[in-house]
Amino acid sequence: MGGHHHETFISKYIFSMDHKIIGKQFLITAIFMAVIGMAMSILFRIQLAWPGEGFAFLNFFLGDKWAPEGVLDPNMYLALVTIHGTIIVFFVLTGGLSGTFSNLLIPYQIGARDMASGFMNMLSYWLFFVSSVVMVYSVFVESGAASGGWTVYPPLSALPQAMEGSGLGMTLWLVSMTIFIASSLIGSLNYIVTVVNLRTKGMTMVRLPLTIWCFFITAVLGVLSFPVLLSAALLLMFDRMLGTSFYLDSIFIGGEPLEATGGSPILYEHLFWFLGHPEVYIILLPALGLVSEIISTNSRKPIFGYRAMILSVLAIAFLSFIVWGHHMFMTGMSPFLGTVFTFTTLLIAIPSAVKVFNYLATIWRGNLRLTPGMLFALGMVSLFISGGLTGLVLGDSALDINVHDTYFVVAHFHIVMGAGAIFGMFAGVYHWFPRMYGRLMNSNLGYLHFWVTFIGVYGVFFPMHFVGLAGVPRRYYSNLDFEMFNDIQFINVIITGFAILSSFGQFVFIFNFFYSVFRGKKSVQNPWKSNTLEWTAPIERIHGNWPGELPTVHRWPYDYSKPGYEEDFVLQNVPLKNGEHDGH
Amino acid sequence: MELLLILLAIVVAGVAIAKVLKARELVDALKDPKSEPISSSEIRTNALGWLIFGIVLFVMAIVQMIVFDKYLLPSAASVHGKDIDDLMRITMILIMSVFFLTQGLLFWFGFKYYFKPGKKAFWFPHDNKLELAWTVVPAVVLILLVTYGMSTWDDIMNPKEEPDMKIEFVSEQFGWTTRYAGADSTLGEASFALYGKNAVGIATKNAINERLAECMNVNTTVISVSNKSVSNDIVTLTGINFYKNEILGMNVPMTVSLSKIAFDNAVILSKGRGFDGTSKLIVKGFVIDSLNLEHEISLGWNKGAKLDKVESSIKNYTANVLRLKRMLKDYKIDPTKYDFGKDDIVINDNNIKLPKGKTIQLQFRSKDVIHSAYFPHFRAQMNCVPGMKTNFTFTPNETSEEFQAKTIKEGKVYLEVIRDENTGDVISSVEKLGSTGYILLCNKVCGSSHFNMKVFIDVVEQDEFDSWIASQKTFE
Repeated sequence: MGGHHHETFISKYIFSMDHKIIGKQFLITAIFMAVIGMAMSILFRIQLAWPGEGFAFLNFFLGDKWAPEGVLDPNMYLALVTIHGTIIVFFVLTGGLSGTFSNLLIPYQIGARDMASGFMNMLSYWLFFVSSVVMVYSVFVESGAASGGWTVYPPLSALPQAMEGSGLGMTLWLVSMTIFIASSLIGSLNYIVTVVNLRTKGMTMVRLPLTIWCFFITAVLGVLSFPVLLSAALLLMFDRMLGTSFYLDSIFIGGEPLEATGGSPILYEHLFWFLGHPEVYIILLPALGLVSEIISTNSRKPIFGYRAMILSVLAIAFLSFIVWGHHMFMTGMSPFLGTVFTFTTLLIAIPSAVKVFNYLATIWRGNLRLTPGMLFALGMVSLFISGGLTGLVLGDSALDINVHDTYFVVAHFHIVMGAGAIFGMFAGVYHWFPRMYGRLMNSNLGYLHFWVTFIGVYGVFFPMHFVGLAGVPRRYYSNLDFEMFNDIQFINVIITGFAILSSFGQFVFIFNFFYSVFRGKKSVQNPWKSNTLEWTAPIERIHGNWPGELPTVHRWPYDYSKPGYEEDFVLQNVPLKNGEHDGH
Repeated sequence: MELLLILLAIVVAGVAIAKVLKARELVDALKDPKSEPISSSEIRTNALGWLIFGIVLFVMAIVQMIVFDKYLLPSAASVHGKDIDDLMRITMILIMSVFFLTQGLLFWFGFKYYFKPGKKAFWFPHDNKLELAWTVVPAVVLILLVTYGMSTWDDIMNPKEEPDMKIEFVSEQFGWTTRYAGADSTLGEASFALYGKNAVGIATKNAINERLAECMNVNTTVISVSNKSVSNDIVTLTGINFYKNEILGMNVPMTVSLSKIAFDNAVILSKGRGFDGTSKLIVKGFVIDSLNLEHEISLGWNKGAKLDKVESSIKNYTANVLRLKRMLKDYKIDPTKYDFGKDDIVINDNNIKLPKGKTIQLQFRSKDVIHSAYFPHFRAQMNCVPGMKTNFTFTPNETSEEFQAKTIKEGKVYLEVIRDENTGDVISSVEKLGSTGYILLCNKVCGSSHFNMKVFIDVVEQDEFDSWIASQKTFE
């Protein structure tokens, strides 16, 4: 540990084994991927707002095959929808969010010099990088990227003759995801081992910041669920390449009855959603962890109900494994199973409600320092409420009959796990930027970014619920092919307008980020007057995080405004006074 | 060039903003060297912004609920749909109350308790009674809601009574075929082995034999293709001999020149229903995609992927012939079940009729990929999964006319768009009271024309339905 060998540029910045650098590598890769994912969403939102109208720039970017006369091709539309979903869900909100902050914060906040295995950590990033490259490359193959939606249900995804995107594009999608899963598993195992084994002296499990609890549980979820997706993907590859029929039965396509029989597409759906639902929490829990820490710090108040927060995270994690069927109410699955999954799904609302009320109690009578990070954190809570509540409609199988796969679902999950998790990620970047780069991000640009994004998110996704309640199915290339949807077309235009607005807002962030990396105001060691251990380390990046001894922990991380102390914060490594009780 | 200029402008603007920012930071640092990262005035401004955003959010939520209401689906036009609507109403009331309560607190607290220097926050790490309260109250409310929901679901999915009639929808890329059970009220046997001219694959003895003959490709017209470059290019297809077998009844010599098959024995069997309307050629029991047969031959389709395609076609058809022969054997054991299909009525059209007030059991199958049959006005939906039969039972209880009248009464609207006949440009679009009628659409992504799979449904009184169905042709 703490080897003082000579660092070359390559070992320091490229093939680094230092958790801080790897965290930054994840973050910057995720920013690139997010820009691609966002740009794709703008392209298909333009088609939805003005279907059939030609735009010269579309032709310029996509060429004659995919945008003849500036009108998006239907196959390209589906490819964009698919890759947008895949990139945002896996590469930005799974790899990017966990990868960045688990790497940055786990060693810092538990008082370790680095991850348990620096090499595995490096491997995890580079596999993530390779899978990102493959996924982006798949967009450029001649037959187009995978186009069956991010869930890639067979037989659509299994049969190249079913659509263009099920050819080489789909093969690359599966290759990329396989590499991604390997990256995720290696990363998660490393996080688990680090949290279990490398906590510093005094850092008991109930003195861990909630961020670490959330990252820890997230890693456990990932290790238990991603292998199932891997098996689903492998079986799909076998069906595509080796002539097996795990998912195929009684298919007549391209004028031919296929030889393959005996499989079931439902099997794939079960395997996919066995990952797919925990995946929602793999995305959401890290965001909730970051938000818990940021809200407490900037409210200058202990997080309300620390133990209840841990228990609710555990409850959510456990329940997330037994609710996957609510994505499949309409698949022809046994109605009795539907009943069971409705019950377990609505149970998840209980710990979620506890979390929301605890956040409200935390900010109640606080002293709220509304930094850009804090605003994003509060915004995340607002989105968590808005998006979580519509889950009560979708999780109820009887109601799902009529809103399943409509824009109501799109609005729901974009608010709660899309925008919600992105807000958590932004909050984290603003808050821990000084820890990453020793500088502060510009606050005025930060505020501008927050307001544009917050207005944009509600402007895009609130009206979208009504599009869904009007009965418009998702993944439609044009909503005007059914006369009954003509009347809501103006809502599509409003949505696209807000989408374009908020996408411009993201360039403010990107500018601010890269500007501040090099030119931002120098930060002091503990700019937010926070309690956790990362702020006790020197602001310069050094190997092993702390010079000399590792800090010893004497208290929980939320002693903000504790009676008996002059300052409104007490660092975790400050010994308890005589007769003082540990926090909670 | 323009693009370069735009890029240049962006870079220059970026640099300028960066300079201004740096200058401001330096000035701030001079004014107050020990300044906090965030100033009190910034916090105050944004706290006010937070409150205003909350108010605007509430106002916009209410405005949207009022303004958009007329565009939403009208109340259900089926018996079970009323229950769904009731459950939805209760859920929505609950959701909106919690929304306004919790968001209200969030935005209010965020404003009220903004940072003031010197103030100390209230030390309040936990309170067991409070935490118990907000665990138990949501739990009780949710258990009531879930019980109500589960019983509604159970009533819908497990109907106690026998259905009055059975209708089947078969989905494919990109359209629907409807089958009515006919006089015997039973949907006859069907199999994907019979798809082709037989749109839903009904298996009667005649249909099986017909399909078998089709697959084995007997007695067909010879088409002649005269292309010298091809006829000179005699390609031997040695691999094909492997598939010479009794099942196909083919008499393929050990080595056959490809051009010979293509020229002497090729037949146009059926016009494909593909998007581009190209035909498929059947050559001795295997299908060749013949967008450009001559071109393919000149490229030498005994190689690589093209031979794979031929080989897989042979495999597919060999398996299908076996399948059909097995069905014929089964027919000898149990002939009755192959009779139910004879009186079935297949409607290969985008307009169908349903009788009002009859409990209808819908059965769904899919030919190729997963589709989903979605009837928004009936609050009915079910996926169509290849290899599976799925079901949904419902009772339409308003004729199309009654539905229209009700929709007008509920104040729902549609947009009447008038287009120029020649150019297709919109001349005028007027919002009118009423609805565009019942519809079936696809709700599971299934390919490029997913957005365009529709069936218009007309619900009529029983006698009108009877005379309509009587005018349709039965299968045999």
